[in-house]
Amino acid sequence: MDISASSQIGANLDVTKLSDRDKQELQQFVVNESQKARIQASIHSLTDTCFRKCIPTGTVKKGSLDKYEEPCIKNCVDRFLDANLVVLRELERMRQ
Amino acid sequence: NMDSLGASGMSAFGNDQKTQVMRQIQQEAAMQNARMLVEKLNEHCFERCVPKPGTSLSKGEESCFTACMDKYMQAWNTVSKQYVARIQKESQQGGMGNTF
Repeated sequence: MDISASSQIGANLDVTKLSDRDKQELQQFVVNESQKARIQASIHSLTDTCFRKCIPTGTVKKGSLDKYEEPCIKNCVDRFLDANLVVLRELERMRQ
Repeated sequence: NMDSLGASGMSAFGNDQKTQVMRQIQQEAAMQNARMLVEKLNEHCFERCVPKPGTSLSKGEESCFTACMDKYMQAWNTVSKQYVARIQKESQQGGMGNTF
């Protein structure tokens, strides 16, 4: 993997030379990509947690999710998000 | 695909600076995603498949690794679909604010 590019994002970019429309497009692009990256990070974190919860410990025999594991993973995601709502609600309540 | 490039303001064949930066940002995001996946796969599957490290990886340990990786990727896909569906639903109901 060539990682040299990653340390130079925008190194050649002179923002003052961009048109207003280009500036706006770039800004919107960055906002969208940031949100996508946040979502990706959440998915990684959730997969980590739910894999631990739903796949019985020990060696893995089969590569597919069986009829217990798949619903468990789906429930895990939904319950985590429900729990997140509870946390936000309670924090809000504590603030008042 | 080419359509989404146009929609985000990128020219598919452009080498103007704006397009270059956009491409670099996308590449960096893709690399970050791949890095995370490799890290998690190694972590989970080493834990499960190599409980007592020996002087080499046995055939059994290797096939456990393959099965574990398949399973983890399936779990990742399931989580991804479920998560995206949920946040789409929540944003339609206007309930989640800026949680994501």
